[in-house]
Amino acid sequence: MAKTLMRFTGVGGQGVLLAGEIFAAAKIKTGGYGLKTATYTSQVRGGPTVVDIQLDDEEIYYPYANDGEIGFMLSVADKSYQLFKDGVQVGGTIVVDPNLVHPSDEDRKKWKIYEIPIITIAKEEVGNVITQSVVALAIANTMMNAIDKEVLIETMLSKVPAKVHEVNKTAYELGEKYAKEAMAAAK
Amino acid sequence: MATREIISTGNELAAIAAVDAGCMFFGGYPLTPSSEVMHVISDLLPAKGGVAIQMEDEIAGICCVIGAAMSGVRALTATSGPGMSLKAENLGLAQMAEVPLVCVNVMRGGPSTGLPTRVSQGDISQSKNPSHGDYKSITLCAGSLAECYTEVVRAFNIADRFMQPVIVLLDETIGHMHGKAELPTLEEVEAGIKPRKTFDGPAEEYFPYQCEHDEPAVLNPMFKGYRYHFTGLHHDKNGFPTEEIETCRKLIQRLEDKVELHKDEIESYEEFMMDDAEIMIVAYGSVSLAAKEAIRHLRADGIKAGLFRPITIWPSPAEKIKEYTDKIEKVLVVELNIGQFHSEVQRAAARLDIDGLFKVNGRPLSPHEIVTKVKEL
Repeated sequence: MAKTLMRFTGVGGQGVLLAGEIFAAAKIKTGGYGLKTATYTSQVRGGPTVVDIQLDDEEIYYPYANDGEIGFMLSVADKSYQLFKDGVQVGGTIVVDPNLVHPSDEDRKKWKIYEIPIITIAKEEVGNVITQSVVALAIANTMMNAIDKEVLIETMLSKVPAKVHEVNKTAYELGEKYAKEAMAAAK
Repeated sequence: MATREIISTGNELAAIAAVDAGCMFFGGYPLTPSSEVMHVISDLLPAKGGVAIQMEDEIAGICCVIGAAMSGVRALTATSGPGMSLKAENLGLAQMAEVPLVCVNVMRGGPSTGLPTRVSQGDISQSKNPSHGDYKSITLCAGSLAECYTEVVRAFNIADRFMQPVIVLLDETIGHMHGKAELPTLEEVEAGIKPRKTFDGPAEEYFPYQCEHDEPAVLNPMFKGYRYHFTGLHHDKNGFPTEEIETCRKLIQRLEDKVELHKDEIESYEEFMMDDAEIMIVAYGSVSLAAKEAIRHLRADGIKAGLFRPITIWPSPAEKIKEYTDKIEKVLVVELNIGQFHSEVQRAAARLDIDGLFKVNGRPLSPHEIVTKVKEL
């Protein structure tokens, strides 16, 4: 598999960090290299946050994703989207929560933009807003086909308390379902 | 050699390393971007019968670590630049009284409170002389996740060998990045622990500061029947203040020589693709990761670049640097400050034509920027 570069952006406190750790750990489990770096501001809650995820079969040195090389970005906050979108390569995939992020028409020409109401899905369909990071994880993996689904779910479950395993499994399945629907609709 | 794999962050690995190296005391104050060192060790130490305590401020943090170390245990504190500034006076006390401890500094943007969540390497000069007066600071710098572990382990052994503080520099990038680290096994780490020397003769013959001109003090753990005086003033063989001319001179000269004459025990560096290098990049910490990726690209373009990475920053591997700068014309120092190690390379090389690529806006240096700069040389 070639190098996969993904970027998750949101605002502090939304839990976008965890998804990155899960991806990196799952890739390492399968014998490759995975690195997650996060950049955040002094404004711990509400400040723009970006998580870069690199998955590779070869050793990764530089831990950040190089701007212009990112194949996939997911964003759940407009200010983070505007700040970090230019790191995505032209023709790359961007998933946004349409209730929170507002791409311009120009953006839509430049990138494949999918609108999935991630927060609403977590809040209303899964019933727990915190599971948004797992919904996001499922969407990213479904679209990028980065990691074997079973390995990813197993890794995810090892990082969340046992009492929320079921709800996170549901979150994953829903994320996958919405991602597949979005991709099918775009065809 | 057997190894084990841990998936973690640099900060967490530093905390795990301390515990594996036999550290039984942590004192400190949480400071971004070092806080996770404290969070993790607060979980680990009590389970091993050790103590982790959050003090009221950075100053108290280092002071309780000095006290713990005097009782004979290995002790750790962790902070970032602003905390180093506050700890400086007592790092000087530990240098003067010869108290071994390890201080992890996860560097962020400065000066002052600077850029709390952003990466920097602005504390290179500070770590050489955090406090006033003459002494020889020992500073190690982790350039990978694995080294966040191995350099902390090494720091504890060096601290006990030389009886003084050892600073381990991480930076925000390396402290927070999350990935795989190949580590030595716990058995190997434990087998490598070299505890500090103690005196076991009669108590009336115990003079902790009466030692060879190039050897550290022998501080027996307190409360074991061996008495000595503890002070930051110039002191005699018992530790009592003195202004006797020769005693004062010899004491300070010994603080210098105990390290300077045994640099070979501390020196550590990595040479990456240096065998046939026509361009030498000097970088350390997280910037060395960008440099390695840059070298991959440069080599693919037929440019023979290599990396020299000091792991022991102070005392610097000056002789090795000179060996390279004597034969390589194009030398580029890349760092997240305005040339703090660059001037050390100039000094070691005795050359003023060493190039530099610097950044001080809290953002990392990218491989692309290094490639571009090298191509301009």
